[in-house]
Amino acid sequence: MSETDKTTCFEPWNEVGKKPLIEFRGVSKKFGALTAIDNVSFSIYEREFFALLGPSGCGKTTLMRMLGGFETPSQGQIFIDGKDISTIPANQRSVNMMFQSYALFPHLTVADNIAFGLKRSDMPKSEIAGRVDEMIKLVQLGNLGGRKPHQISGGQRQRVALARSLAKAPKLLLLDEPLGALDKKLRQETQFELVDIQEKLGTTFVIVTHDQEEAMTVSSRIGIMDQGKLIQIDTPDRIYEAPTSVRVADFIGDVNLIEGNATTTANDKITIDWAEGQPALTAQTTANIKDGTKITFAIRPEKIAMSAKRPDDALNAIEGHIHDIAYLGNISIYKIRLASGHMIKAQAANTRRLSRRNYTWEDKVWLSWTETAGIVLTK
Amino acid sequence: MNFRKYLLILIPYSWLLLLFLVPFIIVVKMSLSDTEMAIPPYYPYFTLSEGWQGIVNFFSELDFENYIFLAEDNLYWKAYLSSLKIALISTFFTLLIGYPIAYGMANAQPEWRPTLMMIIILPFWTSFLIRIYSWMGILSQEGFLNQFLLWIGIIDQPLTILNTNVAVYIGIVYTYLPFMILPIYASLEKLDISLLEAAIDLGCNRSQSFWLITMPLSKAGVIAGCFLVFIPVLGEFVIPDLLGGADTLMIGTILWQEFFANRDWPVASAVAVVLLLLLMIPIILFQRSEQKQREAEQ
Amino acid sequence: MKKIMLSLMASLMVSTSIASAAEVRVYNWSDYIDEDLIEKFEAETGDKLIYDVFDTNELLETKLLAGSSGYDVVVPSASFMERQIKIGVFQKLDYSQLPNGKNLWDLIKQRTAKYDPDNAYSINYMWGTTGIGVNIAKVKEVLGDDAPIDSLALIFDPKNMEKLSACGVHLLDAPGEMIPAALQYIGEFADSKDPEVIKKTEAVFEAIRPYVTKFHSSEYVNALANGDICVAFGYSGDILQARDRAAEADNGVEIAYNAAKEGAVMWFDQMAIPADAPNPEGAHKFLNFMMDANNMAAASNYVYYANGNLASQEFLEEDITGDTAIYPTPETLKNLFTTTAYGSKEQRTVTRLWTKIKSGT
Repeated sequence: MSETDKTTCFEPWNEVGKKPLIEFRGVSKKFGALTAIDNVSFSIYEREFFALLGPSGCGKTTLMRMLGGFETPSQGQIFIDGKDISTIPANQRSVNMMFQSYALFPHLTVADNIAFGLKRSDMPKSEIAGRVDEMIKLVQLGNLGGRKPHQISGGQRQRVALARSLAKAPKLLLLDEPLGALDKKLRQETQFELVDIQEKLGTTFVIVTHDQEEAMTVSSRIGIMDQGKLIQIDTPDRIYEAPTSVRVADFIGDVNLIEGNATTTANDKITIDWAEGQPALTAQTTANIKDGTKITFAIRPEKIAMSAKRPDDALNAIEGHIHDIAYLGNISIYKIRLASGHMIKAQAANTRRLSRRNYTWEDKVWLSWTETAGIVLTK
Repeated sequence: MNFRKYLLILIPYSWLLLLFLVPFIIVVKMSLSDTEMAIPPYYPYFTLSEGWQGIVNFFSELDFENYIFLAEDNLYWKAYLSSLKIALISTFFTLLIGYPIAYGMANAQPEWRPTLMMIIILPFWTSFLIRIYSWMGILSQEGFLNQFLLWIGIIDQPLTILNTNVAVYIGIVYTYLPFMILPIYASLEKLDISLLEAAIDLGCNRSQSFWLITMPLSKAGVIAGCFLVFIPVLGEFVIPDLLGGADTLMIGTILWQEFFANRDWPVASAVAVVLLLLLMIPIILFQRSEQKQREAEQ
Repeated sequence: MKKIMLSLMASLMVSTSIASAAEVRVYNWSDYIDEDLIEKFEAETGDKLIYDVFDTNELLETKLLAGSSGYDVVVPSASFMERQIKIGVFQKLDYSQLPNGKNLWDLIKQRTAKYDPDNAYSINYMWGTTGIGVNIAKVKEVLGDDAPIDSLALIFDPKNMEKLSACGVHLLDAPGEMIPAALQYIGEFADSKDPEVIKKTEAVFEAIRPYVTKFHSSEYVNALANGDICVAFGYSGDILQARDRAAEADNGVEIAYNAAKEGAVMWFDQMAIPADAPNPEGAHKFLNFMMDANNMAAASNYVYYANGNLASQEFLEEDITGDTAIYPTPETLKNLFTTTAYGSKEQRTVTRLWTKIKSGT
């Protein structure tokens, strides 16, 4: 994946002394008694494609609207380029926003929509038409410039909205659920286009989304929000592979969560007692965990191997019965009931035809994984 | 299925036929007759008792004399023009006052809107006549307005407002204001707030976003409101009669006079037909703009 | 008397269904009878009396000319009735069914005979004059103590009108009343139907038009009573009503009514039976009932108008018989004249002239 390559060479957040483009310092926002944003501090760097991900109502849109100037923080400060933006009104910020509903002006043509912001800027009139053409080409709208928004398709409207918000060449582009209104196939295509455009222009993008796949696909870093708090900011792969809390692990992808008590056995190894009559699990962790601490062991279904017999060399192996099978085409998800009552999900690639499947309902199976397959979470 | 489809179309069409077309044809026919002191007070009178010849005679007696009369006497043209002027000016003022009210309503807290709507509609619950009579009480020489102005010392002589065109404008604007406010409010309420945010985001200040976005997008409501006010005001008769003075000349008053005072039903009918034809122009324009609006919303 | 809108609404509400034999349908001016008389009639005859009201002669005429009004008794003013009789709107009265006809006042009968020869179609209900109502205090304030409140000069002399315009003047919006008054003022024959003579009034009105607050046929009742205007040329009954309202309200407004000393138009409201009345027998019963001296007196005592029933006068209250604004002195009575309706063509000339006078167009 190209993102993986990118993250290896593009990591401004790890550069010492690098000045962020945007900085939130202790920002809170209250709507009456409701706290929408709770003491958030973080930075976004130039050329980043930053995704704010979280369930609806988590505060991600409010956070973005503060950047756009449509909300003001109740507490704390926001800096863009080192300047406190609370003093700059929304129409004078070098920030543009692409609205979830696209907010295209229905009475103006596509070209006039794109030119709208340019006409309000100090760009000479003679250059506006050229810039509009450029934007139309950028988003591949062809000869639709003369159409009204109601005369074009949903996907085309999305492009117009993007072109309009990029026309003024803002330092920062905010995208509020930009692909939410598109169907799945179109959405996936557009995600890649969005990334291409962002790389081409070098503009900093902040995207708000509730779709983790979208966030993973497009962004350089993801900020996970929950109940007004930023609970983890990291690259997509680390968010997935190394969540720092149960919430993040649970929110991103599918995960099995097993609670138990930890006992340190070696420097970086612990055993977990998690159910009576079940063998303790062994896991690696760098965290310093005291004996007897209640922890959660998180393991992704695809990290669990299934076999009819107990694998001889497996460090962690549990026996169970197949309770349910979900066939998803390329993979199948198996739900396995353990004797302890736990339900564990395991994933297997369907490399064989359905009729020749190895396991079926009520089959007895062994689940096994290595000591590094799962993560020990204390939060 | 087919039968039901026809029935559905039949109902509005028969409604139109019964309540508009038939009376209109009667009025047109009357306008081509001659006035006569008789029961009914015009001739020829349509009867089927004389058979085919009677019908032929009937049609041969009809002529355009009354229309020629209307064209020749400048009174009627002046009355039409004066009505047109009064209708245009009052529509303008109704818009001037109605738009900000509608705008305020649309921007009020959602929980307040039903109350505000109620306040706008409330006057409809009292008789229109009673409301106009109360305006007479407010505007008269000894009325509340003059007493108030005298009391706060702005004027030292009572103003003559009642029985002037100013009173007519006040009465019309007051009466028709809800017809202006409601369609504008409807179009403003529909307005997606994110469009205004987008405009501000793209560099507009508040007044630019109003003139470039809010105004054009509420155009349909403004047009609907203007027609809803303009069309009935053109034929308005009660308000000029009660609030207007000797100088107030409106075609509605002339129509009344022709029908009742002169007992000249044919001329009255001709006046009414011409008024209707004049109204057809704005009504057709209105229909067109509505249709365009509907197409745009699809 | 011409509350235009009310009358339009009334016309919408009045049903035209055909009356059954036991019903008598009467169509009279609003506020024009003692309601107790309706019950009394029903009690005496056993017939059901359906009583509807109108506000303008024009409205009544429109109904009558449209035909099948469904009424058994209607009450047009004599000047309107004259032409209505000619086109056969009414049926002749059967005086054998009207024994109380003996109570009628010959003096009034002579006058109404001008409209209805031999009183063959109608009997008089009420009568009055058209004259000048003034707010005494205000007019004296403007014109001095010797203001000519009983003269046509008050309203037709521009010098007076210019001063009066400050406190407000209403004239009737009725050319049939105003033009004869103007003709009388300039010494012409008041009931002239000669277009050349009628046109002479244009100059008279032209001179005073700028000072006229409004030409209207009903608003002056309120306006006068409230003190909004100081002079109104109108119907005696209306102005007396305004006088009594102001007195009741005790608002310091004192109204006086005078029939002009130069001569005033006398009007008559006549009871008649439409040719197509569903129940002519019941209609006669009602007319006879109303001609009873006691009943007629009760009506007059209630509405404060003079009636055409001589026998009723002994039952009238003193403040009616004693009020010269209601029952004029014999000298004044001599000065009162009657007018007749205009023909169709003259009517148009008069209306056009009147519109021109009112609007300057």
